Amino acid sequence: MSTDATPAPGGAPAGPAGGGGATVGARLTETLREGGPLVPVITVLLAFLAGGVVVALTGHDPLATYKAVFEGSGLNWLLPWVTGEDRDVAATNLQQTLIITAPLILVSLAVGYAFRAGLFNIGGTGQYIAGSVIAVWIGSTMAGLPGWLHIVLAMVGATLAGAVWGGISGGLRATTGANEVITTIMLNYIARWVAIFLFGLGGPLQNSAQPDVPVSNDVVNDAKLPVFWGDPELQGLHIGIFVALAAAVVYWVLLNRSKKGFEARAVGFNPEAARYSGIAVGKTYFLVMATCGALAGLAGSLDVLGWQFRIATNDVQATELGFLGIAVALLGRNRAFGTCVAALLFGALLSGTSVRNLDPSVFPPELAQNLTRIIQGLVVLIVSADVLIAMVFKRVRRRREGAPVGAAPAEVTV
Amino acid sequence: MSVARQDFTERLWGSFKRPEGPEPSRRKAFAREHIPAWIAIALGFLAWLITLPPFLVRTWIPSLILGLIAFTLALSTLYGGEKRYGAWAMIAALGGTAGAYGATRSGVANLEAVVVWGALMAAMLRYATPLTFAALGGLVSERSGVVNIALEGMMLMGAFFAAWGADKSDSWLIGILVGVLSGMALASIHAVFAVSLRADQIVVGTALNFIALGLTGYLYVDIYGDQGTPDNLPQVPELKLPTDSLGFIGEAISNLNLLVWGSLLAVLLVWLYVFRTTRGLRLRAVGENPRAVETVGIDVFKIRYLAVIASGGLAALGGAFLSIGFVHSFGENMTAGRGFIALAAMIFGRWRPWATLGATLLFGFSSALAQRLPEFSEQAATLFQALPYVLTLIAVAGLVGRSTPPAADGVPYQRESG
Amino acid sequence: MATDTPSAGEAAELALELRGITKIYGSLAANDAVDFDLRKGEIHALLGENGAGKSTLMNVVYGMARPDAGEIRIFGEPATIRSPRDAMAHGIGMVFQHFMLIPVMTVAENLVLGVSVGMQQRIEILRALDRGAGIIVLDEPTAVLTPQEAAELEGVLRRLRDEGTAIVFITHKLHEVLEVADRVTVLRRGKSVGTVPTEGASEASLARLMVGRDVVLQIDKPAAKPGPVALEVQDLHVFDDRHLEAVKGISLEVRRGEIVAIAGVDGNGQAELIDAITGLRHPESGHVVVDGRDITGCNPREARDAGVCHIAQDRHRRGLVLDFTIAENLALRDYGEGAKMGLLSPGRMLAKAKQLIEQFDIRGGTPDTPARSLSGGNQQKCVVAREIAGDPNVMIAAQPTRGLDVGAIEFVHRRLLAERDGGKAVLLFSLELEEVRALADRILVIYEGRIVAELPPTATDEQLGLLMTGGSAEAPAP
Repeated sequence: MSTDATPAPGGAPAGPAGGGGATVGARLTETLREGGPLVPVITVLLAFLAGGVVVALTGHDPLATYKAVFEGSGLNWLLPWVTGEDRDVAATNLQQTLIITAPLILVSLAVGYAFRAGLFNIGGTGQYIAGSVIAVWIGSTMAGLPGWLHIVLAMVGATLAGAVWGGISGGLRATTGANEVITTIMLNYIARWVAIFLFGLGGPLQNSAQPDVPVSNDVVNDAKLPVFWGDPELQGLHIGIFVALAAAVVYWVLLNRSKKGFEARAVGFNPEAARYSGIAVGKTYFLVMATCGALAGLAGSLDVLGWQFRIATNDVQATELGFLGIAVALLGRNRAFGTCVAALLFGALLSGTSVRNLDPSVFPPELAQNLTRIIQGLVVLIVSADVLIAMVFKRVRRRREGAPVGAAPAEVTV
Repeated sequence: MSVARQDFTERLWGSFKRPEGPEPSRRKAFAREHIPAWIAIALGFLAWLITLPPFLVRTWIPSLILGLIAFTLALSTLYGGEKRYGAWAMIAALGGTAGAYGATRSGVANLEAVVVWGALMAAMLRYATPLTFAALGGLVSERSGVVNIALEGMMLMGAFFAAWGADKSDSWLIGILVGVLSGMALASIHAVFAVSLRADQIVVGTALNFIALGLTGYLYVDIYGDQGTPDNLPQVPELKLPTDSLGFIGEAISNLNLLVWGSLLAVLLVWLYVFRTTRGLRLRAVGENPRAVETVGIDVFKIRYLAVIASGGLAALGGAFLSIGFVHSFGENMTAGRGFIALAAMIFGRWRPWATLGATLLFGFSSALAQRLPEFSEQAATLFQALPYVLTLIAVAGLVGRSTPPAADGVPYQRESG
Repeated sequence: MATDTPSAGEAAELALELRGITKIYGSLAANDAVDFDLRKGEIHALLGENGAGKSTLMNVVYGMARPDAGEIRIFGEPATIRSPRDAMAHGIGMVFQHFMLIPVMTVAENLVLGVSVGMQQRIEILRALDRGAGIIVLDEPTAVLTPQEAAELEGVLRRLRDEGTAIVFITHKLHEVLEVADRVTVLRRGKSVGTVPTEGASEASLARLMVGRDVVLQIDKPAAKPGPVALEVQDLHVFDDRHLEAVKGISLEVRRGEIVAIAGVDGNGQAELIDAITGLRHPESGHVVVDGRDITGCNPREARDAGVCHIAQDRHRRGLVLDFTIAENLALRDYGEGAKMGLLSPGRMLAKAKQLIEQFDIRGGTPDTPARSLSGGNQQKCVVAREIAGDPNVMIAAQPTRGLDVGAIEFVHRRLLAERDGGKAVLLFSLELEEVRALADRILVIYEGRIVAELPPTATDEQLGLLMTGGSAEAPAP
């Protein structure tokens, strides 16, 4: 083994101590360089294809199913030839899709930012719960505040709660070296049980009017996010989507144009080199995880203030948003724009397979929801082997250009 | 043989005999300096125990005295530089005293309703079993250097396919077999991606959890629909032992599922294999330094493949117990995070089989207690559910001794990086 | 059967024959149709700069890497080698730079592992040696040895060779090739550029083959003009990661306008000393003073602000973020400058990158090129450029030429001398005695955490080697 290792294939880790390329973030950057935006598209197509095979094998019609899911997502609203009543239904469905997309963007950015700093944030769920608990608490108390102030207060509170929850993992990583994968998983469950405790029967934040329902108090009307598209009574689209898009812009600036983002990326690619050049690695871990938590916490406030208005213990147990965020972030290559697009895709998939939106005569929603999970899993699985895709791409491109395989690159030293 | 040859081989492999650092000391659980800590832990427990049935001391004073002694011992241990043992002793001293206080303030009837030792122990073993199997699976995989957070999915596969197999074949044995094979199949995918394609092991694990959740949910809905699994699902039999006369322990073990015993046997076997055989040694070596192992002619990939697949089988066995040994049916996402608790137990047990068993029993006990506590307090029961996670958080944070994973855990091995 | 003499002609039996070995990593051909012959009873050096493909070629032979094309023949028979096990069965043994033990396992466990498989390997090799059919590959075996130990090993190798063993000796040190090898094959950027007998070859001719042009190995060095003391280390004690005392009371001074070299075998406290000076590690006691200012225990950024720059030992792990662009790497220390409200100033970073690329002749990319795709020499230029650009008063250079080819070494050496002559204080840490002698104005020898001697640059290898291994300081001066 020489000290000056030969460049490893596809930027894969050069060994246990190998500096760059060892993190998921680094690998994704590499793939993007190789495959461009085509790779995620192929990934999605492959996943849908495999999902379709499952549908076909169990005796259903994959094409009809996907068409029903597509219409259930309301994305057909974008097609100009959908008119009349169909268009109204599509609009309602699209509002649902976008309502889901907004928090999904935020939670996915929370996963993506951690990836870029070489951390794996599986704790989106816990941070989201922490945020929604605080949001519902602030939102359901302090009636009489001006509406905008109440909303801002609830959002800031949720953001801070998420930041604390994420910051715990980051701080533990910085001070004791505890693996953030494990601590975020644990904090997910702790958040979950604490929330169930709070809103459960006899819990301190349980609904004061309905003592035998395990649910929180309702958010007061003034603290609800304004609806700008559709009927506010029928869950129209609230302004949370703009909050999410604004967060995506902030994310881009933070990552690519700010000192903290520069430090985070340096640490993500090579913590040792970052330390040598004077970047405080531990502090960066803490700040990154706190930032991620803040994003996920904000997501919690959007759902609570936007359409849920109360939290039931069942909701807390059922939320899979944090895990979904992993799939979205990986598919979106941890980039602001890519994440938004991927979040829209998965938001559409979720709302398109919901009981409310999917036509049960075509495909049972209970099956469809599981189909969504399979597709999610396949997307993540294919992305995980991105090096493979990148290599295939390289081969194809080289063959097309007719360049000799293995032509030595570039310049002579000195 | 020539002198040169001997001389040369000596030089070549002499490094085997000359380790660079001092010999890592084997942790001795019962070293002399740890005795006070162990006494403190025992006293802490005793302080709590005497206030519970059948002893039921109704005043707090004796427990307080015991707790104070334990506290002093814990302090002296901490002072002596034994941080880990001192911290545990401190937790036992404070926890025991606080528990005793709580018990003396509760009604006798409540206490007797919750604390039925025989039933508690039996429930503990039952709750611990799926965790034990899965945690052992995680241990085998991570000892070879492959992180397996897909334990959850592998358990779920085992749970569904064991139920399905038992249903279709009308035999619990075939059910277990089908379940285990399904876990191994999922694990094979993990191996292909994590070992051969060098994908990020945590990303792959996450993907497989999704796929297992979706696939089992899909098949369950498609096959069983609204009715759920049939009521006459073949079940793993229970083993009746004539031990009722042996006090509450006898009571606890008199009527346990075959797989509960199987899990204890599995701990023994895994321990023997991993720590007492040459093959186990190679497995551990691959998890620590795969390159060194490869240069002496061991096939790293083969060992990792086998370890991951075995891991899937073990986790699936835990899932199979859940569906056809414990709950007697299958439900969507029925593992409900047990794979992650198993992962936590393995970390809590520092990647060692017996300590891992200790952790799963602890977690099993907290589940058993949480199950009985609602009669006493719904609120306390809920918070109790979070206990395993809090304990694991404390353990990985190294507040009470650091958990160090195998050195190459989670690092994809690349043969050609020279 | 051919003769066993090393100078045997074409008739000599070939132990190992490689034809057209090609091995591609990503877009890089680590080996590009390489041919290689190894005769029975010869020591054949495989020479090349790091990254030239030497190790890759031998990993192919040992089954650690699979070739994309090419043919391997062992004693005339075509062979397929898929794993080290296969290689051993063919009588091939490979000795890696340093065989690592598994630290968390006990000695006994390491021994069992070693006995169960290492013993098997040993037996295979010995059997092969006894058949007279052994092939031994050594990958930079002297890298971690003292000069004396290296000399001993060379003696053993010669005796083995005389008994008929075929030996491949991977190295990038020219003098070793001339001392020990019978023939040498030179690899340059994945290609074999020729095989020559060492008889009649010179360091200069080999260097020319390695780099492809003439290289000045010895740099003319004007006499130093030492100024006031810039760096002062006072009775420094530093602990290592295992909480063992690694630096045991070191005091030293470096003046402006001089290069002081610390010579020593790796692992004698150099790393901890560097860490303590550059703020990467808190010393247990003692002081680090820069230009009269006590910077003991400061963090790396404060050390830099005090005028200390640091060319880190391993540019891949510590010096560079390989996935960052050249511009980002060049800004790694001062990205905060010109930042407003926490936002970077990309224009300033780009302008600075362009200027440094020009000034330090960094080739192979624009500011937006990832550092990973640069050659080793140009990567090191990035590190040197970034560190010098901060206009430091004190330069800490830790093995600044490790793994570089001769041309890049020359560049770095010239640059360090230029800094010296520009009035900077340079503290050089190096394992290469040649480099130490070529650059230093004073040589301090470090052994087990202490400075054991100060010598002029005229000191001999023997003197230095003896001191570095704890020998007496009263060695006769030349």
